[in-house]
Order: sequence, then structure tokens, then C-alpha cells
Amino acid sequence: MAPDVGVLNKSPSEEAKAMDATDKPRLHRRGPLEYAAWAACVLVGAGLAHTLVTNENYQWNVVGQYFTAPTILQGLRLTIVLTFLAMFFGTILGMVIAVMRASTIRPVQLLASGYITFFRGTPVLVQLIFWFNIAALYPNIAVGIPFTGISQAVDVNVLMSATTAAIIGLSLNEAAYLAEIIRGGFASVDKGQIEAADSLGMSARKKLFRVIIPQAMPTVVPATGNQVIGMFKETSLVSVLGVAELLQSTQLIYARTYQVIPLLIVACLWYLIMTLALSYPQSLIEKRYSLVRSRVSNEANEALVDPVPMGGEAR
Amino acid sequence: MNGDGTVYARKLRKSYGDRVVLGSIDLDVRCGEIVCIIGPSGSGKSTLLRCIDGLEEVDRGILRVNGEDLGFVETDTAYRARNRKEVAMQRTRMGMVFQQFNLFPNMTARENVMAGPVLVKGAAKKAAASRADSLLADVGLAGHGDHYPWQLSGGQKQRVAIARALAMDPNVMLFDEPTSALDPERVGEVLAVMKGLAERGMTMLVATHEMGFAKEVADTVIFMDGGVVVEQGPPAEVLGNPKEPRTQKFLAQVL
Repeated sequence: MAPDVGVLNKSPSEEAKAMDATDKPRLHRRGPLEYAAWAACVLVGAGLAHTLVTNENYQWNVVGQYFTAPTILQGLRLTIVLTFLAMFFGTILGMVIAVMRASTIRPVQLLASGYITFFRGTPVLVQLIFWFNIAALYPNIAVGIPFTGISQAVDVNVLMSATTAAIIGLSLNEAAYLAEIIRGGFASVDKGQIEAADSLGMSARKKLFRVIIPQAMPTVVPATGNQVIGMFKETSLVSVLGVAELLQSTQLIYARTYQVIPLLIVACLWYLIMTLALSYPQSLIEKRYSLVRSRVSNEANEALVDPVPMGGEAR
Repeated sequence: MNGDGTVYARKLRKSYGDRVVLGSIDLDVRCGEIVCIIGPSGSGKSTLLRCIDGLEEVDRGILRVNGEDLGFVETDTAYRARNRKEVAMQRTRMGMVFQQFNLFPNMTARENVMAGPVLVKGAAKKAAASRADSLLADVGLAGHGDHYPWQLSGGQKQRVAIARALAMDPNVMLFDEPTSALDPERVGEVLAVMKGLAERGMTMLVATHEMGFAKEVADTVIFMDGGVVVEQGPPAEVLGNPKEPRTQKFLAQVL
């Protein structure tokens, strides 16, 4: 035993001698609270896993059966199309409204503000139902060329199908939110930039497209990416109009089979997968634009970067 | 259309609400004259330059740049605003250099210098690019054309800003405290470029705290305080032998 003890006693001190004190890592204490938190989280996690596996009401086999069913995939496709169209029209209209909002002409500005207030101040669900029933308000609209007498009356009830109402409702609502995002982007552009453009005699158009918009992008693009992800989930609201998007497709099936929970899980899984799939490019975009932003605003870089004239450091 | 490189002002007045920022300013700047405007901060020297550049509007008074009423046309009873095109044309004949440079961060140094000629005057890109390179060389930045503003030091940025203003072939150059945002060791390079410009006969109005520059380069020094011109004259008089007590006090503080 004696030699063993000797070795035991010796080795740590020898190790300590071998290691330079200036290189030793600093170790932190873990408090009892941290261990307790670990234990609690593991317990909750284990409990969740246990019930997911053992509770047969989840009917995972049904989930698997319908996960790639044609009806579900068609619904998913429509959800993607709706998201794309709503974002597309929403972005265009949002740009117009943001520019109107920034106008120096008072009525134009007020009109844009009124639009934003209305569409942000009322629930999307209500707006969607409203658009679906717009025929009650305007049963007929005449489409024609003014002052020529050529006109064609259109029955709004026929025109406003559930899908059309969904696209219009989502686009108009999204436009209001995007207008605010774009306006925030405009506001983030330094006032000096506009003065510099003015002092060169740039027209309002050139100023907007060459100076303001490029500099507003780092603020606007990441926020818009978030809106896309939000919109993807928001499309589930149009199921109330009977549009056969992802949620409505699952509802159509479980109305027949009564397998409500497994089909809702199918819908949730698809929403989750798509959201995660969209989050990745979104995070890349965010990183890229935050880099641009920090470059643009980081005056501290000056000291670090001392540019060499071109070709100066070939070797 | 050719500007004559003069600035003429009579009883220029401007106030924000109750606060008077320009009392009653008279100016007579000859072609090729170098005018340095000095004075404590808040004295109105920046506002005066910004009014001359049309970035801000004066309330009353006569303001003629390059022999034309700036931004407005005189009628029997009023000054009527010119249309945007005319205003833009007038602005192309003046160059403004800002304290904070205000280079376009989304453009390279060359593109910054090209921006005016290409986007405003509709110049051909190729010609504008080679012109930009030679202007950058003039301000000592040959080979920096491809650098973005964030890659340049403050002094380099300000020299790009000067080249950008010069690219429009202005007859009057306005400098709004061009060296105030620079590190002390970078001030000289910008002043050197300005000195070179002065020697080539450019009309220049410079709001500055650089008394050495004013003494050496200026034809006329204007001391402003509280929105009015307190004293003006050759630098030897205003800086060397000021008559007004306010000028004396200010110079005692800065020198």
C-alpha cells in the first residue's frame, strides 16, 4: 500500500509541477441549482417521450399512413403557393404604401397611414371572411374603359372564389406589415445620405432607387424573411373559407375518419418542417446583412484596415 | 447656364420657430475668392452653408448663387419656387462637402465619384469612370477606386467626398467643417487638397475651426456668432487684429 500511496501522493504534485501555472485553465463551480435544473429538464423530457411512445391515442401508424397522402401533399402545395403569392403581392403593395407613407404630400401620407392602421388594427381572420363576403357589399362591379361606353359587368360572387379571397385578404394584410418594415428601413438610412444625394442634384427617383433602397435592405430583408415564415403559418387561417390548403386538407380527411389527433399531427409536422427549412436561408440572410450593416456603420474598422493600393501585396 | 462662381446675399433671415438661426446676413463672394467662416458652434455657419446649397430654405432675403436666385424666381411680389429640374441644375453647379463625409456606403470610391455625372447628368459610364479615377488621383487616392467607404480612413473618405463634389464641375465649393470629424493626424491631408483647389481658382466657402488654414488660405474671414456676421475682412485683420470684443473673446478661446 505504501508505494501506492506514495505514487498517489506524488503524481498530482508532479503533474502540478509539470504544468505551468500561467497555462492552467480556469474552472468554474456548478451550483446545486444548476444540477437541479438539469434533473428537472431531464425528467420533463423523459415524461414527454414516455407519453408520446406509450399513449396509443397518438396513433403514430395513422400519422405515418397519411404523412405523404396525395390530399395532404396537394394541401401543402397550395399552402406554399398561397404563401408565395401573398408575399409577392404583399411586397409590391407594401413598397407602394411605404413610399406613399414617406411622401411629403399630406393626403397621400394620410391615405397610407389609414391603410396601415386599418389592416394592422383588425384581425386577419375577420378580413379574410370579409373579402369572401365582399359580394354582399358590391354585388356587381363594372369593368370597362372610361368614357367609351365599353363595359362589362362582373358578378363579384363568381369572381370572389374562396382562393381569390384568400390571396387578396392575405396580400392586403401583409402589405400593411411590410409597409411598416420598409418604412423602418427607410428611416434607418442616415439623413446625411439624402442630403448628399440632394446636393448632387439627384432626382427623387434616383435617390430612392440608388441611395435609399440599397441602404434600407440590411434592415428590410431579414425582417421580410421572418414575415415569410409567419405567412406560411398564417395561411392556415384561410381554411375557414374552405380553401383546401394544408390544414383544410387534414380536416377533410378527419371529418371522414374521425382520426383528428393524428391528422393534426401530420399538419403540425409539415408546418414545422417547412418552417425549419425556411429558417435556414433566413439565418444566412440575416448573417449576411448584419455583416453588411456592421461594415457600413463600423467606423472603428478604420484603424484596422489600411488598404494597400491595388496589386500592392502580390507577394 | 454657365455659373460665374459668385455668391451674393442680402439680409438673409431664417428662424426655427422663435429661434433665429440667421439674423440678417450679407455676403459678397467674388469668383475665385476663398471665404472662411469661423465662429462658435451654433453660430449659424453650417446653416448658412446649407442654405447656400439649397439643403435648407431661407425665410427672407436675397440669395444668388452663380448669379441666379437659388431655388426661386423673383416676381413683383414674391419669390416663386423653381421646378425641380431647375433646382437640380443649380445644385449641380455647386459642390458640398459634409462634416460626416456622407459617402454612399453601398458604392465604391469610384462609384461615389461617378454617381453625380452618371445618375444626374446622364454621362456615359466608361467616360465617367476614367474621369473619376483621375479625380481620385488628384486628391491623392490613385488606386483606391475599388475600395468601399468602410475600407477607407476618415481623411481618405473626406478626399473621396471632395472628388465626388468636383466630379460635377461646380463653380462654387462649400465645405461644412470638413475636418471636424477627422483624427488630428488626418486633418492635414484634407486641408492640402483644399489648398490645391484654392490655388486653382475655385470659389470656396469653408466653415472651419482650422485657424491656421484660414490664416494661410482665406481671402476673407467671416466671424459669425448668434446667427449674425460680427466681423469680416482679410485674415490679417479679423484673426490678427480683431476689433469686435466677441471676436477677440472667441479667438482667445481657440488659439
